Amino acid sequence: MDSRSEFQDLVHQYLDSLYNYAHVLARRDAEDLLQESLARAYGGFPAFDRSQSFRPWIFTIMRNVQIDRLRRRRLQAPEQPLEHEKEAEPVASLDNPLCSIPLAPEDILLRRETVEQVREAIRHLPPLLREIVELRDIEGLSYREIATIVSRPVGTVMSRLYRGRNLLRTYLVEPRERPGEKGIGVRNDGL
Amino acid sequence: MMDCSTAKSKLFPYVDGELTPEARGEIEAHVARCGACRRLLDLEVAFREAYVDRLRPDPAPEPVRERVTALLGELGQGRRGARRQRRFTRSVVGGVGAALLIVVGLGAGMALQSHLGTRTTLAELADAAVEQHQKLVRDLLPPDIKDVPPKAAEEWFKKRLAFNVNLPDLKTERLRFLGGRISHLREVEVAALEYEVDGNNVSLFIIPEDAYRKLRLKDKPRFKVVSHRGYDVVIWRSQGAGYTIVSEIGDRACLMCHAPDEKLEPLPRPSAHL
Repeated sequence: MDSRSEFQDLVHQYLDSLYNYAHVLARRDAEDLLQESLARAYGGFPAFDRSQSFRPWIFTIMRNVQIDRLRRRRLQAPEQPLEHEKEAEPVASLDNPLCSIPLAPEDILLRRETVEQVREAIRHLPPLLREIVELRDIEGLSYREIATIVSRPVGTVMSRLYRGRNLLRTYLVEPRERPGEKGIGVRNDGL
Repeated sequence: MMDCSTAKSKLFPYVDGELTPEARGEIEAHVARCGACRRLLDLEVAFREAYVDRLRPDPAPEPVRERVTALLGELGQGRRGARRQRRFTRSVVGGVGAALLIVVGLGAGMALQSHLGTRTTLAELADAAVEQHQKLVRDLLPPDIKDVPPKAAEEWFKKRLAFNVNLPDLKTERLRFLGGRISHLREVEVAALEYEVDGNNVSLFIIPEDAYRKLRLKDKPRFKVVSHRGYDVVIWRSQGAGYTIVSEIGDRACLMCHAPDEKLEPLPRPSAHL
């Protein structure tokens, strides 16, 4: 199989993931970001180390493309996760993951939420936390792969994941807690 | 021996499979003798199995799939096309290039073809502009701003783009401003504007001057005109920015910036059918 066919196959295989991540990063410009990222990735594909996973590699490219776009735009977009990274935040480590205890999901299990409600609650997470939760819980990437994609230490990834998951559980137990939520139920606009 | 607080704090990494075998062993030893932590772990696993493990990325819409498939095809062909184009240009320049250019007689615009790099960048810009124009017309790239006068749109862009964005006044009723958005030509951020001239869609892209200069286009002719994929593309520089118009109406697109009764120098003939 030639390089071009291999690239096409991989993109088709992971297209949902690529589109989903583009949506996390760029929302309404997701398709533009996706196309620009594919063009850049295709240019770099000959140098792609085939012993590595494709998704973390192309996710990293996509994130860098988005950073470039934001730099060019010089626009502070509050919903963009990339713009929030200067926030001070607790950092965990594998030896000392976190000082507190995660919320038990017992109430959520009792409420018998649907998978789609959980998915919707993830969409309501703050962008910085949503990005990590999506990469771990939906894409199934490892802490180290996520750390590479977001150019942050593993401890930061763990910390954001912890905060994101706990906030997600809060949303599921108390949907009113979600930003923009006026009552129990979920929004249907996707974001 | 691990205490409950430490065990609970490592619950997520444990379930995520991120702990070393040694650390995993410590957790498992702890939960084997601690009912409270065992219950917490069971709940976490149940939560994963009920929800998290069943989460999937949002599917890409079918139109996006189709466009990505088309893009992937173009990426490959673009490279081959570029190689063909370079081979063709080399043969022209290396062989009967100069004589051929004179015979064809495309005048000033042909000077562009004598410079391989210029032609390539011009071709790339035209290609990107046509692609964006098609997306704008088909509403695949929705406007960020619409139903406003050009001056209001100009202010909107000036707040968001770090270069001089000047929108032309509407000098005739035959011209209508439809809307605009921040878009990209290749990797350059531009103001993309949609107009209608006599019922025909026309796109105007305003490009940062530094990006325009990187094209290394010569000053003359002032207006570079190319025909690409059936569209007329006019490229020029003015007031600290580069401009690119894409239309299917040739000279009539000049109504974007000039009144109908204004006497204009004729545009050069298209320098190339790219």
